[in-house]
Amino acid sequence: MKAATPTLLGVVGVLLLALPLRLGAGVVPTPLLPLIIVFFWSVYGPSYLPAGSVFLIGLLQDMLTGGPLGLWPAVYLVTQYIVISQRSYFLGREQKVVWIGFAFAATGAALILWLVMSLMSGVLLPVGALLAQMATTVLTYPLFNFGFAHLQRRVIVEA
Amino acid sequence: MEVLGQDRREGLGRRADSRVTLLTLFFVSVLLLLSSLYSAEASVFRKARETVVDAAAPALALFAGPINAVQGAVGDIRDYFNVLKQNEALRQENAELRQWMNEALALRETVASYEMLHAYYAPPAVRPINAIVIGESNDAFSHSMLVNVGSDEGVSHGQAVIDPSGLVGRIVDVGKAASRILLLTDVQSRVPVYIEGADVEGLLVGRTKARPAVTFTKSSEPVIFEPGQRVLTSGAGGVLPRGLPVGVVAEDRKGEAIVELYANYARTRLVRVLNYKFPTVEPDEVATPSDGAAQPEASSSSASPSNEETRTVQPTPQAVTPVTPASAAAPRPVRTEEEALPEEVED
Repeated sequence: MKAATPTLLGVVGVLLLALPLRLGAGVVPTPLLPLIIVFFWSVYGPSYLPAGSVFLIGLLQDMLTGGPLGLWPAVYLVTQYIVISQRSYFLGREQKVVWIGFAFAATGAALILWLVMSLMSGVLLPVGALLAQMATTVLTYPLFNFGFAHLQRRVIVEA
Repeated sequence: MEVLGQDRREGLGRRADSRVTLLTLFFVSVLLLLSSLYSAEASVFRKARETVVDAAAPALALFAGPINAVQGAVGDIRDYFNVLKQNEALRQENAELRQWMNEALALRETVASYEMLHAYYAPPAVRPINAIVIGESNDAFSHSMLVNVGSDEGVSHGQAVIDPSGLVGRIVDVGKAASRILLLTDVQSRVPVYIEGADVEGLLVGRTKARPAVTFTKSSEPVIFEPGQRVLTSGAGGVLPRGLPVGVVAEDRKGEAIVELYANYARTRLVRVLNYKFPTVEPDEVATPSDGAAQPEASSSSASPSNEETRTVQPTPQAVTPVTPASAAAPRPVRTEEEALPEEVED
């Protein structure tokens, strides 16, 4: 049951993305918590967040936010693939380095999102809102990283 | 639940296996994406969406309440600091609105007398369905909201959604107890509108930015409009009622009218779904006027559809919600006016 925690957290992250949170009177976009979760567990415990879970989390997000089906699973799975392939670099590094790594991952995800959505809608979409959301996600990453690290060390692995 | 990770940890041989799974699922996603590009409205996809929306609705509704309470409290605190300024602004607005009220009352009398004179057919009444926003897509490109009413309450695909300030969007997915509103700012949103006073019709196209644009069909003559003119739904296509207030023209950008929406999506909470059946032109229906004293031929007015917009304003609080005048854009032998007011009062 404890091994399913990352997956459940991912589902919670998707629900947060579907709630009318309107942080800062609608000015601050909601951080992409599922992206943080996918990144974190791809680095520190890929076995706890299998590709099937990532796929389901992404699909749920597509269905709840009304985007084209398959978009978010693709983004999350690419992120997971790349991060797992770079895992040996991240393990044991300083948190700052991991944070920069996450910033790169978020930029990559944003680029894929923008390309796919622009292709699908036939126009070059404005990037402002996307960049703002990615910036919020990157800025809040250390906070979640701290929480997840505790969870992973004290609860999940100790099981 | 064990399958989510615990047993995957055992055995190093699993590693290559999980990579294959990842790549397979990635290709499945890409396939899904490609197929939704060509058949976004396919019944399988829609059914899946509606099922998920329905399933998630109770959870979303559970959290939406406390979120709203917190937002209300934060709003109260903010209001506390500028209460004087707000009072002054409200007093001014109130004085202005009183003038409008008097003008509206006078106009109501005039309209009523015209209705006695001309052939008048009561349009189909709008039955508003009150709803609370329980979800909102916090996504850079998909702009939609979820409301706590569905097909059980009579919501169906394509219906207009308004709030006290104006048009919010239209219904795109309908579950049993929850539905999705596609907002006007979504890149997929297309709403037929006209610009009041400019006599031009166009399409309000979402661009994922806060202000959508009205695009006009290409013609040799330039379309003339001015900032400050109102933008209303035109009813073309027979989906949304005619005359719902959408916003005002903010600026002219390369021949497109950038529209400042009346709806403020950061505050949208209580909305009404308009259960509206567009009047269809059927010969025998036209021959039966609802007002017995009228002759069908008496009113075959030559006014262009965009000019015959009639609105009724009542000095009661519910008149704050947009009234929904509608007349079919198609040429008809008889003029149809609309003055149906939502009967229910929003709490």
